[in-house]
Amino acid sequence: MNENLFASFMIPVMLGVPITTLIIMFPTMLFPTPNRLINNRMIAIQQWLTKLTSKQLMITHSPKGQAWSLMLISLFLFIASTNLLGMLPHSFTPTTQLSMNLGMAIPLWAGTVFIGFRNKTKMSLAHLLPLGTPTFLIPMLVMIETTSLFIQPLALAVRLTANITAGHLLLHLIGSATLALMNISLFTALITFIILTLLIILEFAVALIQAYVFTLLVSLYLQDNT
Amino acid sequence: MPQLDTSTWLLTILSMIFTLFALLQLKISKHFYSPSPKPVDTKLQKQQTPWNHTWTKIYLPLS
Repeated sequence: MNENLFASFMIPVMLGVPITTLIIMFPTMLFPTPNRLINNRMIAIQQWLTKLTSKQLMITHSPKGQAWSLMLISLFLFIASTNLLGMLPHSFTPTTQLSMNLGMAIPLWAGTVFIGFRNKTKMSLAHLLPLGTPTFLIPMLVMIETTSLFIQPLALAVRLTANITAGHLLLHLIGSATLALMNISLFTALITFIILTLLIILEFAVALIQAYVFTLLVSLYLQDNT
Repeated sequence: MPQLDTSTWLLTILSMIFTLFALLQLKISKHFYSPSPKPVDTKLQKQQTPWNHTWTKIYLPLS
């Protein structure tokens, strides 16, 4: 039962060759490159959505932080498209892999921290102590703030992994429950089916929201440090 | 949990880095947002200075 439940999260292997690379690169095929002066509708819609998202995301940053807009927008599009493609039945979602999320979270977080350290050393160190703390609490609070700083990349990665994995697992379980209940009592199976439909809608929302949250937090860490 | 099997981690991370940093960013960087059209003033011609009135020999390339 355990092996069967987590089988969809194993790296897909075809004839002994891991095809993860192709699966990870697939969402980029859904974003055609605008090569002409006037592009087709799909590219126009994507450009419009990108402009909307980037304005929403980058307007609170200083010019130094806005240099990260390409990075953050492509991060958002990558996570959102990967999560949404994972909603197709029997597909493999790369964002369920802790390796990939750690690989995204740690370099981006480290980049923001090092930028802050290099350009504004005093201000980034000052972030370790909230304003107005009593003097005798300072050493303990600095330790707590340092811990919370170092836990940021881990939290980013594990949050994305856990949310998407849990959603997919729940969908899988409730789906197989509906199927099993169909032979026992049709009414309960109907109720379970309605729960499944609601869960699917939730999962679509979660797919987009998680992408947004990831990018938002990275941009927040960036704001602190630019 | 199959996500904790570290044998495939290098492959996943490398393919993600390539996709995210190379492929996607190259595509998104080609998005061109043209600036909104502005009216251009046509009467900004500068007055010709008096010594430009006649074309003299020294302006010819072979002299």
